[in-house]
Amino acid sequence: MNSTLFKLAWRETVRSAYWGKSIASNIGLGFLALYFSLSFLFLGFAIPTILVKDFPDTDPVSKFNGIVLAYLAIDLIIRQLAQKLPTVSFKPLLLQNIHRKTIANYLLVRSLLNFFNLLPFFLLLPVTFKLVAETHSGMATAGWFLSLFILIFSNHFLAIYLKWRFNEAEYGFFILLAGLAGLFAVNHFGIIDLSGAVGKLLDLVLVYPGLSVLFVLIPVLFYFLNVRFLLSRMFLNLVSGKQKAEQVRDYSWLDKLGETGRFIALELRLIWRNKRPRSVAMMTVIMLAYGLLIYRGEPGKEIPEFLFILGGIMIVGMFSISYGQFFPAWHSNYFSMLMCQRLKMKQFLQSFYMLVTVVSVACYFLTLPYAFMHTKIIYTHLAMLLYNLGINIPLLLFIGLYSKKRLDLNQSSVMNYQGVGAMQWLVGFPMFLIPIGLFYLFKLAFGIIGGYAGLGVVGIIGILFHSVIIDFFAKKYLKQKHQLISNYKNS
Amino acid sequence: MIQIQNLIKAYNKEIVLNIPELTINRGEIFGLVGNNGAGKTTMFNLVLDLITASKGQIISKGINVRESEDWKDFTGAFIDETFLIGYLTAEEYFGFIAGLRKMSKTEIADFLAGFTDFFNGEILGKKKFIRDFSKGNQKKVGIVAALMGKPEIVVLDEPFANLDPSSQYKLRKLIKDFAAQNGTTFLISDHTLDNIADVSTRLIILEKGKIVRDVPKTETTLQEVEAFFKPVVEADVF
Repeated sequence: MNSTLFKLAWRETVRSAYWGKSIASNIGLGFLALYFSLSFLFLGFAIPTILVKDFPDTDPVSKFNGIVLAYLAIDLIIRQLAQKLPTVSFKPLLLQNIHRKTIANYLLVRSLLNFFNLLPFFLLLPVTFKLVAETHSGMATAGWFLSLFILIFSNHFLAIYLKWRFNEAEYGFFILLAGLAGLFAVNHFGIIDLSGAVGKLLDLVLVYPGLSVLFVLIPVLFYFLNVRFLLSRMFLNLVSGKQKAEQVRDYSWLDKLGETGRFIALELRLIWRNKRPRSVAMMTVIMLAYGLLIYRGEPGKEIPEFLFILGGIMIVGMFSISYGQFFPAWHSNYFSMLMCQRLKMKQFLQSFYMLVTVVSVACYFLTLPYAFMHTKIIYTHLAMLLYNLGINIPLLLFIGLYSKKRLDLNQSSVMNYQGVGAMQWLVGFPMFLIPIGLFYLFKLAFGIIGGYAGLGVVGIIGILFHSVIIDFFAKKYLKQKHQLISNYKNS
Repeated sequence: MIQIQNLIKAYNKEIVLNIPELTINRGEIFGLVGNNGAGKTTMFNLVLDLITASKGQIISKGINVRESEDWKDFTGAFIDETFLIGYLTAEEYFGFIAGLRKMSKTEIADFLAGFTDFFNGEILGKKKFIRDFSKGNQKKVGIVAALMGKPEIVVLDEPFANLDPSSQYKLRKLIKDFAAQNGTTFLISDHTLDNIADVSTRLIILEKGKIVRDVPKTETTLQEVEAFFKPVVEADVF
């Protein structure tokens, strides 16, 4: 393949915004990578012992083989959410003397350099040496390892193929989820033992290591699917996105709410018509179910109070935090136009405040059913709702003053660090830690219920003063406007 | 209408704009020409208070643009496509701007009806977001939005660029008619000399941040301006 292309790839990587990202983002991502690598490594060493201990009757290797399919399915979902497509812009390449096929191959080979292809080996290597090699010949172990190696890369090519498809049709992801859920059900209720079948296949590889070579067919198939897809899409008009009549929803009824209503209409259109804010909204909905995880607790054990506070902020305040952390950068693409208009900064901020308030209150009522799990949720969530509106939103407005990066509205938000500055990483801590700290302080003085009441009262004070706060920030934002304009222009 | 006094804009001690004194009169169609990096957009951004001057001030209708926001009441502008909201349809965008400029629904309809010819049937009634428009059509949306609410001052940065030839002619007429009807002061920059020479009543040539020519419009304006930019080219060719 063309070596200039790889030189290009190298430069793209080194000079890309990825490395130019703030040091804080890089450290944050580095920690995440390290955390996952170590977790996988630890799991890799633990699995042999766990399997022997928990299933003394079965062969641990074939038990492990039995869960490979489940692992691959989860891996596929996570890749959909977090793995980046090889995003090199092939537009400039199209005009050059390079075959389209070369470009496609290059994109695909390049995509292999990805953390998600490295991660599984932290788990796989210890398992191979500690579990499989102990009881099998070198030849068998090598064949087995090769099969899994190939399966991981098959998953990689399947994942990016699907991702390319889902890029064109977003609902595809939900079809995939439904499909996998269906397969899980089929498997779980024993209609067809899929994971068992894959497990048996891998068991067979251990007996006849030569079989592993056959696995190569899978990634080759997916690879060619990718190539075919890319070749069919590698034209300028398709690069720049499909042209179709858009479904235009009418929000003109909001104009009746006056000036503020007009801005809320703008925010709603922003959320509904752009990928990134849309996925923030989606996360809010998904987060509503987060309580099932953290409020479940272990039988016989009290759930620590700070979890209720954390849950309150995460579930009731998810929208305000995830949407608010990028305020006003959501409007960064046309910020200088707004600054030329006769627009009251106050209304601009107020409409944001109102939108967030309405969504947060709605989230409060939607999460009331958690009261069936713990009655106290009724007041813990209320306290956190008030605290969120009174304290956290002004905090977000404060952070917005220092917003540095223009937001690309058409990228999905999961694992997307475009436009994330040090502030966004730092802000998380006070938003969660201050209320937890305050709670324990109030609890010391007034007991548990007093602790929540204290948080609620602090929030109410913030809410009562909200118009003063917004006035204050309106002035600050006007002072800061030149800085914001130049930040957005230069990022 | 607009007074510029001792205006200096510098980035890292490199002066990109230096205008000791300039007055733009009411009703003038003020044309700004100059090569890339001459400081045209910088000057417009300063007039709109989008960047801060290193020194000096701009007084727009008696208002120092740095100190008060009241100039926004009588100023419309289109600098580049970052003035558009990509995820709105053209109608929604006009509606949004009109709302900020206190126009009623019927006023919007009347206003837009005046641009039917300029729009050429490609802007209104399309179920298409502005981000999917061609560059030329995006420009048309931005220019017309800048005229909404009959502002007294209109700032247009390179309005002719990206427009097709017949739209360029239509825009020339449109600007001249609009100024004649409303007494609007236009600040326009462009690279196509005959467009800018035709439309403006006064021409300024900027070079490396300084005003090097300031000529009122006469029969010979175009030749004069062309002569200024040409010699370099001819020396290269022959």
